[in-house]
Amino acid sequence: MASAIITLINRPFASWSREKRQMWATILLAAVFAIYPLLTDDDANIDTIANAMSYATLALGLNIVVGFAGLLDLGYAAFFAIGAYYYGIFTAYQIMPPWSEAWAPLAYVGLVEKINQGGPDLVHFTMSFWLALPTGALVAGFFGVLFGAPTLKLRGDYLAIVTLGFGEIVPILARNMDSVTNGAAGLNGVKGPTIPAIKAIGFGGYSFGVDATPYYYVGMALVALLIFSSIRLRDSRIGRAWMAIREDETAASAMGINLRNFKLLAFAIGASFSGFTGVFFVSKLQVATPEMFNFSVSSMLIVMVVLGGMGSVWGVVLGAGLLQLLQTWILPQTTNVLHDIGHSIGSDMLVAADLVQWTQMFFGIIIVVMMLFRRDGLIPATRAQPKLEMEEQHADVTRGGFINVNRIETWNPGTGNALEIKDVTVRFGGLVALNKVNLTVPAGGVVAVIGPNGSGKSTLFNAITGLVPSEGSIKFEGAELIGLRPDEVLEKGVARTFQNIRLFPKLTVLENVLIGQHCRLKTLPFGAIFRPPSAKAEEAGALRKALDIIGLFGNRLTPRANHAVAGLSYANRRRVEISRALASRPRILLLDEPTAGMNPNETLELAEQIGELNAMGLTILIIEHKLDVVTRLANRVTVLDHGDVIAEGTADEVQRNEEVLTAYLGRAHRAKIEAQDAAAQAVSAGENANG
Amino acid sequence: MTSGDLFLQQLINGLNLGAMYSLLALGFTLVYGIMELINFSHFNVFMVGCFIALGVLKLLGMDGQSVILHGLPLIGVLLLTFLITMVSSGMIGVGIERLLLRPLRAVTGPAAMILTIGVSYILFNVILIGIGGDTRNFANPLPSVSWNIGGAVLRMRDLLIWGITIVLMLGLTYFVNYTRLGKGMRATAQDPEAARMMGVEVDSVVGLSFFIGSALAGASGLIFGLYYNYAKVDMGFAAGLRAFTAAVLGGIGNVPGAMLGGVLIGLIEAGSSQLIGQLWADVVIFSILVIVLVFRPAGLLGRQAPNKS
Repeated sequence: MASAIITLINRPFASWSREKRQMWATILLAAVFAIYPLLTDDDANIDTIANAMSYATLALGLNIVVGFAGLLDLGYAAFFAIGAYYYGIFTAYQIMPPWSEAWAPLAYVGLVEKINQGGPDLVHFTMSFWLALPTGALVAGFFGVLFGAPTLKLRGDYLAIVTLGFGEIVPILARNMDSVTNGAAGLNGVKGPTIPAIKAIGFGGYSFGVDATPYYYVGMALVALLIFSSIRLRDSRIGRAWMAIREDETAASAMGINLRNFKLLAFAIGASFSGFTGVFFVSKLQVATPEMFNFSVSSMLIVMVVLGGMGSVWGVVLGAGLLQLLQTWILPQTTNVLHDIGHSIGSDMLVAADLVQWTQMFFGIIIVVMMLFRRDGLIPATRAQPKLEMEEQHADVTRGGFINVNRIETWNPGTGNALEIKDVTVRFGGLVALNKVNLTVPAGGVVAVIGPNGSGKSTLFNAITGLVPSEGSIKFEGAELIGLRPDEVLEKGVARTFQNIRLFPKLTVLENVLIGQHCRLKTLPFGAIFRPPSAKAEEAGALRKALDIIGLFGNRLTPRANHAVAGLSYANRRRVEISRALASRPRILLLDEPTAGMNPNETLELAEQIGELNAMGLTILIIEHKLDVVTRLANRVTVLDHGDVIAEGTADEVQRNEEVLTAYLGRAHRAKIEAQDAAAQAVSAGENANG
Repeated sequence: MTSGDLFLQQLINGLNLGAMYSLLALGFTLVYGIMELINFSHFNVFMVGCFIALGVLKLLGMDGQSVILHGLPLIGVLLLTFLITMVSSGMIGVGIERLLLRPLRAVTGPAAMILTIGVSYILFNVILIGIGGDTRNFANPLPSVSWNIGGAVLRMRDLLIWGITIVLMLGLTYFVNYTRLGKGMRATAQDPEAARMMGVEVDSVVGLSFFIGSALAGASGLIFGLYYNYAKVDMGFAAGLRAFTAAVLGGIGNVPGAMLGGVLIGLIEAGSSQLIGQLWADVVIFSILVIVLVFRPAGLLGRQAPNKS
């Protein structure tokens, strides 16, 4: 039904582009909120909306951590508390150390003042609200990193429980550290914001009092700022990196994303949003107590994010608004209606009913219902996919390599050996998965690794790309790879695909390929949010390049650029994975069974395309079971069995190698061959004797 | 009291807490071992269990310390209370699994865990709205028999709590290791897919692990009531978090680990309350949780759950 309404509203504006419609809808929404306080004289309503705005900013911050980066943080209110106490401590009258002349410089710049309440002179902190906002965000961000750092290695569900613990510790500290926080009594008399007088324009200054309207506008500005930042971050290199981590950490790391830094960044930015809000909230309430920041706040924020849609910026704002509406309007109003009905029909039970007590019950019900029936929330983060035209669905098997190949750069493979693997050993506990393996890949060559299942082929790839620890030496273009993280290996120019396809399933083809470029792009959070010309140019270039790479496969991927990869055919997912690897501008490409699951025609097509990549100057190391592909492509073949290299040479040579036959066909077969040989020898010996 | 007496007294207190946390931790560990799910509803199944026990005792005519029983009647009342509490808590767990978690079994990601947070909320509010948020006096029919060991006091209920806990743990150990369903349970924990193909009814095994875990949570809730003499709607949070820490400390998914972890956490809580104050005990316990997870995520006895890769 919702979508029908949207279609109806959209009808008169059908000729507008999506962007234009979105822009005007946003402007209209902002205008409604901007003039609302002028239309009502009920301060309570304005106050309620201002509170809803605080929660919306918190939900936006939590959405960065939970929705974008997939780090389930159940103690998010801790950062809210940190922001609130930061501002509270530096303006309230509870914390006042004795005055000494050392404070004089701070008094001069207006951060403290000397006061006397009878007795010795004391220091009263007088930090400006406008200074506290950004610095509060920084302080909370710092704690975000501090809390995030030890938990980075943990997988989702453990992270949830540890953050729950942190969320519990912070209020305990606030309650117990009397000298800093004034204990359970909390801080009160926190100063509201003031706007200093500007004499030049005859402005006499303004002090926020108990009137809710000025807070409303500050809150609105904060929400607008954070929505803007969230959307800009989401649509940048940084947001893509977070979503990649959320979808598949291992693949994200192998595609050049530094897991540690980007998880910490998510924690830090999420926390700083929260610190921001903490300063605002406490300046509005003018008190800070430990109870304001306990688990129920964290879980209410989770409800907002779950209701609106994890990862959906407008969704979580809607979620915050709806929950606030539920608490302050729907439940009290419904209670009143029930009371009226109760009075008229004489039901004592209805008269005594108080639905406001049920608020948290509704939170629980909302979570359960959303998880069971609408996991993507009211406004899902992923958009509906455009349907394909018949023509776009049609793709013929092409021969002779790529389409539009001239748009892709060519490589200079260099000379000598690109990859030199010496005595590499990988152990899993007692099991030796690779035993002193030696392998070289000449620059510009194609080397194939074959061997029975479980022989260590994929482990070799994992060792090269830093996914498993190994001993020995792996040098790429002279640089040692062992000891590097997967993202560092990729940056050196070693890109890979996975045997069991590790794409980011909920992201689109285009996003997957853009993530491949991650390590070649430079944009940082500031650039992502404010988009200076350099960042704009970089993003446009990345988009062009991604489309060019997708275009290599012609009609197979280009019409599906905006489709989530989860819905693609198996062969197309393989193609996306190769595109993603190519996007990282590799100098060597490691392909792990690229043609597995393809039919013979598709296999031939892909084999020729791989050959073309090699002709363009890309060095290739390939694991493959299909021997026709191996013979067609590879200059050299290395055979692994039980972690040992058992043969090496051209495709022809290894096919005749006896040990290879044994490994593939089993000892019984070898015994059979040996028996035949022995029989043949006996025959020839007999012939000799007879002759 | 000498410091030796204090130590002994805190050892007794710690073992009581440990008994409670161990039983609660087993529920976390059984469900995590089989489904790799942190079940937040477990926190409040424990709380509901305590209220069920309170209700049963009330029905049997026990209120506060008004009735003190001896001998066979005492044993009968206790057995009946444990039985009813455990069975009804277990049924709550089965209900949660059957109605809410089973539809999400095939869904990857945090959906199931988030759902259990919602369930926890609902359980909390059912008690809050239905019974109220104030502290309830827990009925206690035990005679106040105690022995002095030096300066420390060993009460009869301490022995009773330990006895019941040991019996339950032995029963569970026997069940998991030697019965057909127990073996199915261990097989499912290793690899649900393979277990299913070998004829293990995975659905029953999952339901059973919820039943056992929740029944033990109920027993733990009853022990909480006997030990602290009260029941309150917000009792589940702190106890649950400590029990979860215990499960992690022992190695999540590991049944003996949860028992060991529970006892250790109980002793640590008693010790740190004595040494640095009750208020800081939580900080100590959460710090242990973080330290264990960061430096030894497999816990003391090793994780037996399969490792998702």
